[in-house]
Amino acid sequence: MANPQKPRAPFAPWDRRELPGSFSVEETARRVGHYKWAEMKLFEALGGWIATVPELDIKMRLGTHCYKHAWHAELWHKRLPELREMNPERLTLPANDAMVRFIEAMTEPEAPELTIEKLVGVYRVFIPHFISAYTYHLNNTSEITDMPTIRSIKFILQDEFDDWREGEMLIQSLLETTEEVDRAAAHQARLEKIMLEAGGIAGPGSIGINTPAPQGAMS
Amino acid sequence: MKKFMPVEELARDERFNQITQADRMADARSAVPANAESTRRSSNRLTPARADASDAARSLMHGIFVGEIQALEGAGRTCWDFTTGEEAPFGLKLDMARQAWDEARHVEISLKLGDWMGSDVGQYAENTVLFQAACSNDPVLRLAGVNRALEGLAIDVFTSMKEFGEMAGDPYLEFCEDWMLADEVTHVKMGSDWLRKVTENDPERRKKALEFQSIVDKMFSYGGSRSDSDESSLGIARRFRELAGFTSDENEHIAELGLQALEERKAQIREKQAAAKN
Repeated sequence: MANPQKPRAPFAPWDRRELPGSFSVEETARRVGHYKWAEMKLFEALGGWIATVPELDIKMRLGTHCYKHAWHAELWHKRLPELREMNPERLTLPANDAMVRFIEAMTEPEAPELTIEKLVGVYRVFIPHFISAYTYHLNNTSEITDMPTIRSIKFILQDEFDDWREGEMLIQSLLETTEEVDRAAAHQARLEKIMLEAGGIAGPGSIGINTPAPQGAMS
Repeated sequence: MKKFMPVEELARDERFNQITQADRMADARSAVPANAESTRRSSNRLTPARADASDAARSLMHGIFVGEIQALEGAGRTCWDFTTGEEAPFGLKLDMARQAWDEARHVEISLKLGDWMGSDVGQYAENTVLFQAACSNDPVLRLAGVNRALEGLAIDVFTSMKEFGEMAGDPYLEFCEDWMLADEVTHVKMGSDWLRKVTENDPERRKKALEFQSIVDKMFSYGGSRSDSDESSLGIARRFRELAGFTSDENEHIAELGLQALEERKAQIREKQAAAKN
């Protein structure tokens, strides 16, 4: 460091962050409200299922994953007032009626012999949709103005990938017959169809497809 | 998935053998022989000097293991059973989810400790009394029963087990129990804080919750198995209980309940002995 008074570029050559982003403050708050609602539904379901699964290893994993999603909901709950929504409950909503039906269908399996269906709903349908919605948000929001959301998404995505992998391995370890493979696939298809109707975690446009023209965005 | 799961529906694999508290008390092997008084130990505390120390420690560890499973299930059910906002605050449910993670780790720790101590899953019966305390349809009663009474008992159990590890020269056991003890203090504190907060303007509900806690506390004294008397296998860990938000008066009340339960049990024994002699 030869001369500390010498002016330096405010953005280092390796810092390629861009100012423009696809989402306005309002649109970000809307999406974050849907994320919070969905994460809440997921942690509640995982918590409820713990007592219904006889497999000890899965029981313990559900307990661990339950907390991670509760923490995600908490992160979004804290982000909402920073996005000018002083009453976070007002935006803590499902994206649409289909999303409500998705949760009802996902949480339907209860009997101890339905562990495959419980895990398929979470790890083959719901969590992959979280990953895609969060990834779309991460890659399209302003890297400077919306950095707090980006930081939360990065922490959350790490959890989602870890849980997805763990859940998928648990499912594979449970599938021992071709009938069980069919059971898993049928349940996945049933839930995926409702999710298709919902348009993803944040509704149509969750991953940028079928998105209405952004309002107030700077792209 | 329905709300409020009955204890009979707890899902287990084939290794587990579940019993209720009533089954346990009615077990013929609990019957007291006529010469029980002369063969009775002067102290029932778990120490390495006891001839049955290894088996008693393994049995207690298995009890901790199944208790942790039920605590995990109870915390999870509180996340599911109550509607956020209307029936239970969002923050309370977040704390219950956190507790579910902690209890899941405790199950893992207990499994590894059980293995270390030489016992198998299902080697001892699983008493489902702990989950029963988690079945209340009022979240405040559940906090009182589970977080304050059950987790309070866990503080006493882990303190005894930690001391046993220390006396037996088992740093592995002592280390693990100390970590679990730290979590249990946190859980009891969660219960104390939420109980205070949720019933702030509802003294009647608070009174009901504290009465329920007292009933559960007595139930968990297992006929005097926890008291200040050496005749009880567990003591009362006052210092850790105070850290968790119990007042001195509350600790004294629990101590009295324990002694009362012990005296009741001793009276029952005397009656049975008299009947056996006749």
